[in-house]
Amino acid sequence: MSAASHGAESGVVLGIVIVLLLQQVGSLDLSDLVPAIEYLVIGGVIGGIFGALIGWALGRSYLARHSVAAASGSK
Amino acid sequence: MRVGLSAGIVVFAIAALLMGIPVPARAATSSPAAASPFSSAPYTVTWNGVDVSTATSPSSAISIDLSNTANLLYSWSLGTATANVSDARLQMFYFGYAVSTRDEVRTAPTTSSSGSIPLNWAPVSVSYLLAGVYRLTASFIAPNGTTLWSENFYVRGTAPLGFVALIPIVLLLILVYEVYALVRSGRYAALGKTVALPPESPPAQTPPSESGAPPESPPENPPPSGGSS
Repeated sequence: MSAASHGAESGVVLGIVIVLLLQQVGSLDLSDLVPAIEYLVIGGVIGGIFGALIGWALGRSYLARHSVAAASGSK
Repeated sequence: MRVGLSAGIVVFAIAALLMGIPVPARAATSSPAAASPFSSAPYTVTWNGVDVSTATSPSSAISIDLSNTANLLYSWSLGTATANVSDARLQMFYFGYAVSTRDEVRTAPTTSSSGSIPLNWAPVSVSYLLAGVYRLTASFIAPNGTTLWSENFYVRGTAPLGFVALIPIVLLLILVYEVYALVRSGRYAALGKTVALPPESPPAQTPPSESGAPPESPPENPPPSGGSS
């Protein structure tokens, strides 16, 4: 799996966790089914998008840094 | 593991949607005035002495400790009119479903113009899971099951350990694992690209003898002789 897909998975979980934590601290009402599911889906989608972008960027930076280190070490 | 986690989340969402089929278990969202032939004033419900009609929005929710028993008082005073209240009901809703229902049933309900029903509610068994803002519904029920009057109100419950309840802890652990998996994935990807596979080393050979004769090395496991039937 790529870093972007891992980031998307992490972002989905993070989005759902944030929605549930907002309910825990009293900022969000999840008593009714329809808005609660909507909040979770929206949180998951937004988290997935941001997670994929962050994972993609982290993966690229990690590969760039470590490939340079490996190339200089082999000389 | 991660595939199982994703599948679990999807299954949870689908189950939550499928559980919406038994709609009668959900609370009636009708206004108190529409549900009652009387005005809303004759019926009152107090939560530890606080009128629940003052907490009809999440921002004005009543702060409660979910580990303590709540004392509610259902009372009605209808003047010249009468009503037969047989049941005082309190329901707590989460994701549209009544996660807790408490009924105080009168053993011998009679028609009267006024009365009161005390109700004690102790959400101890779920207090560690229910920290946060929740909608509750207080209802007066007639002997035939119809709702004489109901009102939705909100409470902000605090668990004994604050919001550090079981579900957030589990979800945060999942989050930490996912971040760890992300870092590990990037490291493995980097190793797979930067580290070349070592060349295959030729098998060790014994030096040739001086006479030039090929070395005689009997096979360790001689093949079995041809089977004759």
